[in-house]
Amino acid sequence: MPAKSIRAEYVKGLWQENPVFRQLLGMCPTLAVTGAVINGIAMGLATSFVLIFSSLVISSIKKLIPSQVRIACYVVIIATFVTMADRFLAAFFLPISKSLGPYVPLIVVNCIILGRQEAFSSKNSVGRSLIDALGMSSGFVLALLILSSIREILGSGTFLGHQVMGAWFKPWLIMIFPSGAFITLGILLACALFIESKAKQRR
Amino acid sequence: MNLSSRMVIVLTSVGLISGSFLASVGLLTKERIALNKQRETEAAIVTVVPGTTNSQIVYEEEGFTVYEGKEDNGNLAGFAIYASGTGFQGKITLMYGTDSSMTKIKFLTIIEQRETPGLGSKITDIEAFLRYWENKDMSSSLTLHKPAASSPEELAPTEVNTITGATISSEKVLEIINLSLERLRNLKKEGKLSSEEQDAS
Repeated sequence: MPAKSIRAEYVKGLWQENPVFRQLLGMCPTLAVTGAVINGIAMGLATSFVLIFSSLVISSIKKLIPSQVRIACYVVIIATFVTMADRFLAAFFLPISKSLGPYVPLIVVNCIILGRQEAFSSKNSVGRSLIDALGMSSGFVLALLILSSIREILGSGTFLGHQVMGAWFKPWLIMIFPSGAFITLGILLACALFIESKAKQRR
Repeated sequence: MNLSSRMVIVLTSVGLISGSFLASVGLLTKERIALNKQRETEAAIVTVVPGTTNSQIVYEEEGFTVYEGKEDNGNLAGFAIYASGTGFQGKITLMYGTDSSMTKIKFLTIIEQRETPGLGSKITDIEAFLRYWENKDMSSSLTLHKPAASSPEELAPTEVNTITGATISSEKVLEIINLSLERLRNLKKEGKLSSEEQDAS
């Protein structure tokens, strides 16, 4: 693999290898908690915290871990950070912790995190792993933000709890339901593929 | 060092280090989490028994707690009953207040619920649901008024409203409350709710 510039390492997470739109990883929180923007952001940040710190720890001790037990080690390290995030939210951000419910502990099984450790942190330096984790986190937060904005605006007529649609607007209840999450994600994926294919043609 | 002992050592140390981190995080956040829970309960008690400045548990069992709410001057403001049960999709936790003689429900509030957003979640809506629970008779089981009434005056003192499109969630709340009312009546009969006030009288 030719060494990429630091900038490219970060930017690839935003679009080229965006975890949600391009790699289709981490679908469970993406679909489940994006009914409201605040939940989407909180989930994105909690996942970012876990991803960044797991990448830091794992890339710095990668040489010590025998490859036979690497997955077990990764899972223990990831689970530690997830539990920390969960306790932190419960202690300082109770309403968010309540509305995210079981999805915070479920970050443990988020494929983005284990995927980045296996595909990147275990093979690259600490610095590069950090940049990669930052890029992937930003991409994930961005994706959740887009998805939850669409769902909250259409589903409740609000953005971050503030009324943005006029009184004429009748909220589309379906956008709050799981089916609304699938429909929105499907349309966004189609858009992403369309933009990508246009970009390829131009090249 | 051979491979298997290296595996054992690495896994053990990763586990130990993670464990000690978690233990310290747990210690650091434990008090705060307990405090949050306590504040939440206190806020709920004040909502359902207005005027309460001081509350204490008079009876407690799994998923069912009776609090006694007292006013500033020491008078009994009423009782707050915490109850929980299964809803349509997950657990519903609620609290309702009664007057000091336990004859009427004063207010109902939902503490936690996982009902369908937009439909069942209306059980937390004051206009659509909660206000229909005010001043209900506690001496017998309550029933649902179907179809949904549009104002509290249409209901009998033993009737509560159904939410259009969320009959099951309405029924589940009713079930939790009826069950707890029955428990309350039994406790009252057995004299297990004796408070200081009753002792004095």
